[in-house]
Amino acid sequence: MRLILLFGAFVVLGLAFESSVPHLVSFRALIPNLIIILAVDLGLRHHGVLPATIAFAMGYATDALSGTHPGLNAFMMTMVFLVSYEISTRLMVANALVGATLVFFGAILTALGAIAIANGFDALADTGAMLPRLMLEAAISAIVAPFVFAMLAGSKRLAGLPVGALRE
Amino acid sequence: MRSGFLWRNRVLLASSVLLILSLHLISTGVHPGDLAARPQSAVLEIISPVDTAFTHLSDGASSIVGDYVDLLHVRDENKRLRDELARVNSDHARLEELEAENQHLGNLLGLRDALGTDAVAANVIGSDATGLSHTLIISSGSSEGLRVGMAVLANEGVVGKIITTSPHASRVLLIDDHNSALDGFDQRSRARGIVAGLVDYGVRLKYADRSQDIQEGDSIVTSGLDGIFPRGLLVGTVKNVRRQGPGLFLDVSITPAVDFRELEQVLIVTQPPPHLDDEAKD
Repeated sequence: MRLILLFGAFVVLGLAFESSVPHLVSFRALIPNLIIILAVDLGLRHHGVLPATIAFAMGYATDALSGTHPGLNAFMMTMVFLVSYEISTRLMVANALVGATLVFFGAILTALGAIAIANGFDALADTGAMLPRLMLEAAISAIVAPFVFAMLAGSKRLAGLPVGALRE
Repeated sequence: MRSGFLWRNRVLLASSVLLILSLHLISTGVHPGDLAARPQSAVLEIISPVDTAFTHLSDGASSIVGDYVDLLHVRDENKRLRDELARVNSDHARLEELEAENQHLGNLLGLRDALGTDAVAANVIGSDATGLSHTLIISSGSSEGLRVGMAVLANEGVVGKIITTSPHASRVLLIDDHNSALDGFDQRSRARGIVAGLVDYGVRLKYADRSQDIQEGDSIVTSGLDGIFPRGLLVGTVKNVRRQGPGLFLDVSITPAVDFRELEQVLIVTQPPPHLDDEAKD
């Protein structure tokens, strides 16, 4: 329950930030993708059915504020969680560097995947001009990720939740 | 029990079930009134006040930064005068903002009167959370009579249509989104086509016959045939027409009449436009 409340609060703040700030700044790519960072943290450090469900719910909440195909972000966040979980369990590492790398590639691949699923794979041919923007956004998300992980760790300590990865 | 296959692979299995559920939602879609639409409406309802607060907060922050920069240049004056000046400047800026907002709302009311239809004004409080789609969040919802599919306009022209509503907020699909399409025509030559957005930013007039006379600078307006937008509203102007290459249709780029990033208030047409057959009968 504490995990749900903690991530729920972070998701509300993250989504409010991501939906309100881009309308005020001229360059959208400067806004990090905070929800991916949360999904990576869940995958790296919380191994269970509940964290998988939280990742799905975070994506579905993003669907309420983004895109035209409900379920698209839910799919992508579940994928990000699953890949992060697999890397965490197989490589036995869950540090900030691995997290930031996962956030970088996760941000690019989820964006391209979302475009492909929503608009058809033909649409990927039109994304050439978007790639620099997507890469910049992914890089900024990766740079911000360790700070968000640290904030999450602090909040988890306050809530009495385990901070490190829980091995099965 | 805990060493069993299902237990060992429970995360993988749960994730697979959730992925299948996501694909099911993507393929079937979520319609207003569906059970699956309720969480989305709830999220929009929860986020919209936070969005409004963020918007006010950032407006206040930029005002404070502006005041501070101004004060650096008048440090020879005493503190009382500087405070007074800052207060007067702040009041002045706020009054100017109110005046601009009043003028904008007045213009929207003028547009509503010109359309001769029922309409509601709303503030823009946010934009697409991921930036991959081109949508806006506005401050009015189903409690103000807004419904999915209603046309959203600005003084300059067409903005988009409503795709999700909650009691006090709604999402608007902009006309430059890849999933947006509306029926339009060239006001000069009467050449028809479908105005559609691109994956990256931009708007095209699709399916305009190659034999049609469409030129740069022509105005593209709504036809009213889609049953959403009233006829004759400005969509944008033709930026570029390409006739090269094979194919039956022209490649027409359009510059939207509305700068979506600068939008602060919009007008939502709450009454569907009359069917053109009905107009002809009248």
